[in-house]
Amino acid sequence: MTADSLLFFILAAMTVGSALVVILASNPIFCSLALAMAMISVAGIFASLNAWFVAGVQLIVYAGAVMVLFVMVLMLFDLKDEVRAFSRGLVSGFFKIASVAVIGGVIAAAVWMSTETIFSTAPAAPTVNATVATKQLADLLFKKYLFSFEAMGALLLIIAIGAVALSRIEGGTHADK
Amino acid sequence: MGRDSFEITVNIVKMFAIFLLMVQAVPILVWLERRGSAFIQNRTGPNRVGPLGLIQLLADAVKFLFKQPFMPERGVAPLYYFAPIAALIPGALALNAIPLSTPIKIEPFEMLGQMWGPYTFLFQGYDIGIGIVFILGISSLGVYSILLAGWGSSNKYSLMGAVRGAAQGISYELALSLALVGILMVYGTLSFKEIVDAQAGPLTFMAFGKEYVIGALPNWGIFYQPLGALIFFAATFAEANRLPFDLPEAEGELVAGFHTEYAGFSLLLFYIGEYGHMMVASALLATFYFGGYSIPFVSPEAVNAFWLAKVDGANTAAILTAVTHHLSLLVRVALFLWIFIHVRWTLPRFRYDQLMSLGWKTMLPWALANVVVTAIWLWLGHRT
Amino acid sequence: MNSVLPASASLIPVLILTLILLAFGTVIIVGTSLLGPKNKKNNRAQMMPYECGIPGIDTTDSKISIKFYLTAILFILFDIEIIFMYPWAIKFMDSIKDGTGGYMLGAMGLFVVLFVVGLVWEVKSKALDWN
Repeated sequence: MTADSLLFFILAAMTVGSALVVILASNPIFCSLALAMAMISVAGIFASLNAWFVAGVQLIVYAGAVMVLFVMVLMLFDLKDEVRAFSRGLVSGFFKIASVAVIGGVIAAAVWMSTETIFSTAPAAPTVNATVATKQLADLLFKKYLFSFEAMGALLLIIAIGAVALSRIEGGTHADK
Repeated sequence: MGRDSFEITVNIVKMFAIFLLMVQAVPILVWLERRGSAFIQNRTGPNRVGPLGLIQLLADAVKFLFKQPFMPERGVAPLYYFAPIAALIPGALALNAIPLSTPIKIEPFEMLGQMWGPYTFLFQGYDIGIGIVFILGISSLGVYSILLAGWGSSNKYSLMGAVRGAAQGISYELALSLALVGILMVYGTLSFKEIVDAQAGPLTFMAFGKEYVIGALPNWGIFYQPLGALIFFAATFAEANRLPFDLPEAEGELVAGFHTEYAGFSLLLFYIGEYGHMMVASALLATFYFGGYSIPFVSPEAVNAFWLAKVDGANTAAILTAVTHHLSLLVRVALFLWIFIHVRWTLPRFRYDQLMSLGWKTMLPWALANVVVTAIWLWLGHRT
Repeated sequence: MNSVLPASASLIPVLILTLILLAFGTVIIVGTSLLGPKNKKNNRAQMMPYECGIPGIDTTDSKISIKFYLTAILFILFDIEIIFMYPWAIKFMDSIKDGTGGYMLGAMGLFVVLFVVGLVWEVKSKALDWN
């Protein structure tokens, strides 16, 4: 076993393990922390594929920003009632079984469709300098996909305005009186 | 990691040694902080245990070891105990990614009846190609330790301190990462080593297509990015939760903030994390803006030649060259650490609204202006 | 820097160091709990959450201003915008040299204008004011 494949299996085990904790733990704080751990492991997988910049973005944006927001919000709410609402009752039981069926189907389909590639030995990805790879990414992002990039800038602006507008609706702690 | 057992062992020991460098700096810095604050406030400071009170912190550490560890009754045990351990991780991982000196080239040598080498050992834990983004990502995880400690203690002071700390940390991270965009534009690389190499020689800059050389000044980043350096340094104060930005630990209102419920060695682990953060910030400031481990006007080859003439053996000379450059970096780091301490004891604390408005309304726009001006200046200077 | 090591060469050390740190921290936490005095009497006053001289009030879920969430959301948005400047920043000098500097400046200029509009709107709407 080469170092690269060993690394992949460690990172994959970490990702799957923490993802399992996300759905199995009943305390929402533990779930969100495990989700942050899964994000970090996925960043490691990106890095092991030489997608260094994507790995960095995964770490900074998802693990360092989005999950911090999740954890912060969960820590400040009393979630005891929610735990009960989602662990009892016929409707939630139906949803549980339905979601198990859906995820099982997805996994079965993924295995079925990838049987050919799983057992083939693909050539190792060429290793490239991280700075050079990021420059290639910049080339694509700012030349070929420039419109998507600017559209994303506009989208982020709309989200920023929307978030502030939402926080001001009646009943909020700093609603316009 | 390495091709044989010797290289692997050295690499692992090296990582642990850099971590220990961070840990052992804490007693020295705490001593310096107490003596320094005493000096600034015209007091004596610790002076009983050992010469100049130097052994004081060793005594404190032993005392910390024998304190009774306990968790408040409604604390969440896994989070309460994991938080101080998590506080160590960002600082140590980041410090290991910064090149602390020139690489050491080892010629083949004989040991235990076997030939070993040649090797090239980096004077850093690991060389991550995307160094700068890696460090930003790792330090953005520092918030978790604060949040875990705050929530795991089940105390409202801890929780409020933690939430304040998280909000403050993320607010200043914006200004910090935006200040670095200027450095990336000037040097066009994400690798620390290339940034340090680019700062060798006398100050050289391009303006309107012409090249100017100022022989008296080193080619440091501070001369290209003075505003960026200032914003970066100020933002690292906030990231490290130091005065004047220590709202998460504001004693007047929040007792001790997120570590109210901690005592003994687990409290010390938080301090190791905080001082580790300061060391990383100082090393980064030196690397980006003050030439890193390079010695002004002296190339690493010249240092190596000097040591080759002094001692016999290329390996010894290579190690001494690396140590010389490491000292050159440590001088800068020590200077910045002293600024951290001096600022703590001379500036008053901000109010929370002032802190947030400084981060969002002053430092973020100025960092953005720095990026715009740098971009236009570079474009005018290098346009052909 | 033509010879590039595979990703595992720098990622495995990171994992090893993380393990070393976790082990170090665990040894310290477990070690101090073995070395320190034990709490035999189950001292209730000691185990209560800290409070400033009055009996502890039974609340951990105190109301926290929505400003903290708003700050976190705005942080995510601006953080994404800033991280997109990184590949642009390292490419910029190359672009100037191969003559596409003006184009790159314009591409990021439009993005920065959107960024500034967002920031100015946040300031004007007093979303960043804390009282």
